[in-house]
Amino acid sequence: MSRTRLNVVLSQAPGKHPAKRSLEESVAAALIMESGLDVSIIPNLYDLGPDHTGRMFLEGVTGDIVVLSWLFPRAAYWLLDRIGIKGHEGTVSLKPARDVDEDEEESEKPEVPEAKGIGTNGKIPDRHIYCIDLRDFNTPDPYLGEIRRIAAECKDRREAARPATMAFVDLGLPTKAPSLNGTPGPAMQAFLPEQLLAPPNRRWYPVIDYSRCTNCLECLDFCLFGVYGVNTFDQILVENQDSCKKGCPACSRVCPEQAIMFPEYKSPAIAGAPVGEIGGLKIDLTKLFGGDVKDALAMAVNERDRELVADGRQAVGMEVGIPKRQDHKPAGPKDDLDKLMDDLDSLGL
Amino acid sequence: MADLTFMMGKFAAELPVDRRYCKNHMWCAATPEGLIRFGFSAYAIRLMQDVYFLDWSVDAGAAVAMKQSIGNIETSKAVSDLFAPIAGRIVSFNQDVLKDPSAINVDTYGKGWLFEMNGSVDSTVDAQGYYDYLAAGWENTQRILKGQMGD
Repeated sequence: MSRTRLNVVLSQAPGKHPAKRSLEESVAAALIMESGLDVSIIPNLYDLGPDHTGRMFLEGVTGDIVVLSWLFPRAAYWLLDRIGIKGHEGTVSLKPARDVDEDEEESEKPEVPEAKGIGTNGKIPDRHIYCIDLRDFNTPDPYLGEIRRIAAECKDRREAARPATMAFVDLGLPTKAPSLNGTPGPAMQAFLPEQLLAPPNRRWYPVIDYSRCTNCLECLDFCLFGVYGVNTFDQILVENQDSCKKGCPACSRVCPEQAIMFPEYKSPAIAGAPVGEIGGLKIDLTKLFGGDVKDALAMAVNERDRELVADGRQAVGMEVGIPKRQDHKPAGPKDDLDKLMDDLDSLGL
Repeated sequence: MADLTFMMGKFAAELPVDRRYCKNHMWCAATPEGLIRFGFSAYAIRLMQDVYFLDWSVDAGAAVAMKQSIGNIETSKAVSDLFAPIAGRIVSFNQDVLKDPSAINVDTYGKGWLFEMNGSVDSTVDAQGYYDYLAAGWENTQRILKGQMGD
């Protein structure tokens, strides 16, 4: 695999959805016909464990990469980051039809929230990662067009960065590919398609968007199943993915920055969907559309209790690991309960 | 009696009088087969704008309690959980709008129907009752929505 060709990886949909398989096949066929691209197909990226050949293959890719998946681009990008596939986030120009019509009456655009996250841990390699959502269009042409545009953009960027003095001889053999700063990239093995496509077991775990995560550690306090941990720099990370209870999205509701995603959860906001047209938040009509007026925190507490009970443990309600959101309320006069808590605190228990 | 119209600011939300309404902003109408068909009222549609995703979390045939969570919706301007408007059994979901939700916007009171149920409409109100309900809550609703948009 050459560094000067654009790597395109297609991450399949989980399960055997015929329409999705069919789109994957037609997109892959169109891409393979295209020159200048190295195309590979892997099973659902989200389900790949660390030993899966698909992961090992991805780790060996050092150049620019386009990942086509059935995940929201934000979810795919941070998922890749978590498994060690890092790079600068490339801008994808595809606009699915549903995003194109703007409401003419809308004059005020919601503000884009400032990105105040701690960012990814460690150095970002000098390459770009483009994540494309295969749910945006159901024919191959828009994807092909965008990938051609991306290939040209990557080529321009590379040529602008380095004067053309190096010629990589592409013998079509997998070789050790030097990275831009001169140090050799990881050795790459030739992977057979059957190895890459070994079907993985389904997994369920959160993905942190570090452009939003402020390292407040509330998720660490909230999850009682040991999913979260901290690295050597005391930064939050999803440490024990497979301790996460299947289907439970509770921690994503308590994150104050909405930095936690469950890429395969039914509600698009939690799955990492882009919000609004320009990045503002959507209004939540749940209060108006009936039902108990439960805020996100109450929902999270219910979900966590459900998983605790299913696990044979005690439900804890609001007693444990609840973010202290009362801070902004003005302090009222202390009542007997407050006095009792103060007394207990002073005992140093 | 002519259809009622509730003014949401400059927008005229049509409330046909040939059906009843629920407090969660769905209309309901009896079908020839004796089921009750539900859809969003024009008021709900105006708040939501174009429907992008519609997802049901219960299956056809499920018995549901009133206000039980049955799904969620995401639109160009809003997200929301969706709840059962009455207690009963959901007999079927409109498969056409699941494939293409645009009918919900284009033909809210016709082809944009959401699901059909068995149950009692005792808790529902007629068009005038719904109109009065909207009028009583309009100030408060605006406050809730503005509170979410501009902080």
